[in-house]
Amino acid sequence: MDTPSVKVLYIDDEEHNLQAFKASFRRQYEIYTAISAAEGLKILQNIDINVIIADQKMPETTGVQFFKSIKDSFPDPIRILLTGYTDIEALADAINHGDVYRYITKPWSDLELHNSIKNAYDAYKAKIDLRNKVSELEKTNDELNRFIYSISHELRAPLVSVIGIVNLVKMEGLYNSSGEYWNLIEICSNKLDFYIQKTLQYYKNNKNVAEHSPVEFKGLVSELISLYSYSDKDTEFNVNINQQVAFYNDAFRIEVILGNLINNAIKYQKSTEPNKFVNIDIDVDLQRAEITISDNGIGILNDHLEKIFNQFFKSKNHHGSGLGLFIVKEALTRINGKIEVTSDLAIGTTFKITIPNGKAT
Amino acid sequence: MVKPLNPSKIVMLIDDNDIDLKINGKIVDFTKLFNDTVVCRSGEEALSYLKQHLTKPDLLPEFILLDIQMPEMSGFEFLEQYKKLPASFTEVCIIAMLSSTLDFSDIQRAEANPYVAKLLKKPLIPAVLLEVVKENLHR
Repeated sequence: MDTPSVKVLYIDDEEHNLQAFKASFRRQYEIYTAISAAEGLKILQNIDINVIIADQKMPETTGVQFFKSIKDSFPDPIRILLTGYTDIEALADAINHGDVYRYITKPWSDLELHNSIKNAYDAYKAKIDLRNKVSELEKTNDELNRFIYSISHELRAPLVSVIGIVNLVKMEGLYNSSGEYWNLIEICSNKLDFYIQKTLQYYKNNKNVAEHSPVEFKGLVSELISLYSYSDKDTEFNVNINQQVAFYNDAFRIEVILGNLINNAIKYQKSTEPNKFVNIDIDVDLQRAEITISDNGIGILNDHLEKIFNQFFKSKNHHGSGLGLFIVKEALTRINGKIEVTSDLAIGTTFKITIPNGKAT
Repeated sequence: MVKPLNPSKIVMLIDDNDIDLKINGKIVDFTKLFNDTVVCRSGEEALSYLKQHLTKPDLLPEFILLDIQMPEMSGFEFLEQYKKLPASFTEVCIIAMLSSTLDFSDIQRAEANPYVAKLLKKPLIPAVLLEVVKENLHR
């Protein structure tokens, strides 16, 4: 059963067609009729029409011209075109420019037209439902974004205070005053902070906007090295940067990528190695930046090489979050970069990254 | 740029969080860089202190550690008001912002502000504070 609330507008310059249409369908639908395109527009402006049926051959404005004219102002109602003869050109035009859903020849059969209106209304409902779902999703997404942002701030601020207090304990020589308790607090705090930072990176990386900002590799790399080698000063860095030209890409994502790789290179050193080193080579030209980061650390098992970029992949012996390289890969995908890895358990690991040089915006 | 000597040797801490004020106060003491510390629990309080003491340069800070996330008046909003103070003072006073932020736009915004010498990350570490002071003040 059709509900009588389906609103159908029928436009035709022949009065008797309007009458016949009304007579046939008044029981199933809420029918509005108009004798010209101009009249039809007036009705559209006042009533939420679901389905529009228009005759093609009308003086002044044809059906297709009418559909074209309301394409932007009334995109929602589903359009059905009626013509008395097979006019291929009008048909093609209707489909290409008028957003027409069905094409029906005159004289119409009541059954065919009835089915078409029914289908058209289903299409209308699907369209509106989809739009409502999309806006619902956008709203949820927006709330989630704000939630994560505030959590990351509110959650991290007191944690950073804790780490600050541990630093004071160290400065005042009290670190070893309670057995290993201060050390345990410090380890746990740092771990929690690490997770918060990774979570934040992951969430920010998920946002689609890639911005183009200038990247100056020399400053960035030395900042990242001093940030991550703060707690581990044994590793020697050999940095070789050749950047003669300006480089533009998403500065935040590049910082995330390099930060994770440098952090890993420091973290996964052999504890027995006397000369721990990390080599960073960066070559920038107008087309791309090529970055190589290699270390003489513990290396990666051949079996694991394919999996290291998977989310939550961790090797048994090392406690990472399983997020670092996954985030690196995701970030690179967003900025059209590539990454390759080679590793040898005896020698170490090399990551090779290529990032395109974008244009300044 | 190294700014001219301001003999006050006073540091001002602006933060709404009492625990962080305590921690950073201790760090400042530890570095022995300053003779005195003015503690303000909001940007408004800091502004009224500064305005009250404009005629007494020996009570004005030569260095300000400014938190970003504060209720009512954020660090950035404080800077908007701060720049209306007489240039004779703002030209000799150094501001470092201090925050636990990981937000890229916060970082960029802080570093782009002409009144901010540097954005320091919490927790504050004496070595970092020493370096900023060395870079920006005659020490």
